[in-house]
Amino acid sequence: MNRPVSRFSIIASIVRKDIAEYGRDKLWAFLTVMVLVVVVVLFWLLPNDVNESIRVGVSGLEDSSVLTALESAEEEGLLLVPFATAADLEAVVAGDATPPDQDQAKTAVGIAFPEDFLAATAAGEATAVTVFIDAAVAEEIRTAITSIVRELAFAVAGTELPVSTLAADEVFVVLGEDRLGNQASARDSFRPLLVFLVLLMEMFIMASLIAKEIHERTVTALLVSPATVGDVLAAKGITGALSGMAQAVIVLVAINALSVQPLLILTLMLLGAVMVSGTAMLAGSTGKDFMSTLFTGMLFMIPLMIPAFAALFPGTASAWIRALPSYPLVRGLVNVATFGDGWAETLPELGMLLMWCVALFALGWMVLKRKVQTL
Amino acid sequence: MSDAAIRVEDVSYSYGDIEAVKGISFEVAAGEILGFLGPNGAGKSTTIKILTGQLAPKSGKAQVLGADVTADDPAIQAQIGVCFEEKNLYDSMSAQENLRFFASLFGLKDIDTAGLLARVGLADRAKDRVSKYSKGMRQRLMMARTLVNTPRVLFLDEPTDGLDPVSSQAIRELIRQEADRGAAVLLTTHDMFEADDLSDRVAFLNEGKLYALDTPENLKLAHGRRSVKVRIREDGEITERSISLTESGAGDELKEAVGAAGLMTIHTEEASLENIFIEMTGRGLAG
Repeated sequence: MNRPVSRFSIIASIVRKDIAEYGRDKLWAFLTVMVLVVVVVLFWLLPNDVNESIRVGVSGLEDSSVLTALESAEEEGLLLVPFATAADLEAVVAGDATPPDQDQAKTAVGIAFPEDFLAATAAGEATAVTVFIDAAVAEEIRTAITSIVRELAFAVAGTELPVSTLAADEVFVVLGEDRLGNQASARDSFRPLLVFLVLLMEMFIMASLIAKEIHERTVTALLVSPATVGDVLAAKGITGALSGMAQAVIVLVAINALSVQPLLILTLMLLGAVMVSGTAMLAGSTGKDFMSTLFTGMLFMIPLMIPAFAALFPGTASAWIRALPSYPLVRGLVNVATFGDGWAETLPELGMLLMWCVALFALGWMVLKRKVQTL
Repeated sequence: MSDAAIRVEDVSYSYGDIEAVKGISFEVAAGEILGFLGPNGAGKSTTIKILTGQLAPKSGKAQVLGADVTADDPAIQAQIGVCFEEKNLYDSMSAQENLRFFASLFGLKDIDTAGLLARVGLADRAKDRVSKYSKGMRQRLMMARTLVNTPRVLFLDEPTDGLDPVSSQAIRELIRQEADRGAAVLLTTHDMFEADDLSDRVAFLNEGKLYALDTPENLKLAHGRRSVKVRIREDGEITERSISLTESGAGDELKEAVGAAGLMTIHTEEASLENIFIEMTGRGLAG
């Protein structure tokens, strides 16, 4: 009688076999390398600067020193650009004219002061200021402009006026959290999407590997050996998590995402890789051939990618997006890699991700087990 | 038979409303080859799936090496070898790698892959990827894989189906060697010559039901005609007559035929397994 073989040894053998198969498939190998290269190259091509100042055109104020006195405008991300006349300012804001000065380009808001503004204000007389605002400018900016005009009047008159300033977090809202003065560059914004792309590619490849094992019936050959269904499924999960994690680490290193909180980021990625493996089990057990596996994989990939796209546009993640399994992963990556959040701040995302991980892996396990047992 | 390697008692199985196996019972002893003879859809593969733990019987009892097949006992799985009808090998791996991988599942690290492959005539293709193999080569590799753990019980599902005569003969020889080693062999086939050639006993299975279970010799004796057919050329014409061996004077009649100057051929008229199968089930083996 052969001596009993340990479950660990059997699982390790299947994992080694899966990795060998994965590496030998030219299509999978090509896709893996291509995605890794594209993701890294794309990352470094993206701009790394942040410029979120809003240009506010100003006309009618000869004394520019008055403008420079308005430090509060800069603090609120408003860049004051002088214009010669109110007519020029109106034309540029309306988009009817190209400004001669490059600094005047992209002016979406204009404040036209009357010629007697300084004198009238100093004398405490009423005067009218015209504000030109592009239709696309947010309501919060309009309110801020009004505030600037009042502050300017205060500065000129030298008299305490009842000026009410708006709190910064009422003006700029980023993903429900104030990131004013701490905005992410395009490169930082794309980082979670790029890393997530690698995980999703991994999901598709794992799903194909599982579908192949089922449809070529090699899984039945495994199951008449001392390997159990549990061994086979555990091996698939480990292969998926390992390869997903390995590729994610390569990308994370290449895009310099492990410079802050590396352990936390790796934990997030590990949970993400396990979640993706569970999804791959689902996709792999429902697909019937290469094309149907591709199609089923896409069905899972598209909703999972939505949070990564939402991360590009802060404040666009609505409730249903936040309910998607990949949301805590993307949110966690953004907060940690871009804004330097720590373990304590990321705990909610880690908890939610862990829950999704368990749920998707358990679901994938059940569906695949049923599929294998009914072959 | 108390020391049966395989014991099946009144086992049934259905796929939904379709009864694939209907209360069959049989035993296979160590060193014995039992040929399961039946057309496609007779229930042969379902029986193997039950015995290898892939399907749980709906009723009845099935044991391999004394353990219930539903127990899914890895210790029993370690002592069986299964050759599937589908060529379920890893195409991207070489023959050697396939064997090493399956050996590792049995906890065998230093198996003689070269020796195994030599037994199936694939020694010179050991390092080629299976995707480059012909159908016959794949089937021979399947047999080698089946033997990787030196199993005590072999389940062979149509092991020579669609193979060329040389490959078929090589595999039959291997099966004989394994039985001689002491392995119990359950062989399914719809090839009556194969069953006749290899099997110690044959079982006729049709529509899930066992029609007969005996040695090929006994079945032929029980169902065939004890006669010989003689063809003689006389005056340019060929005459053919049948001599019954059970009637009196048969010896003299046979002696006369053998002595005839124009004797062309003498054939026994024992029934073939296929004839007996058709007689008993009303259905041919090819369907």
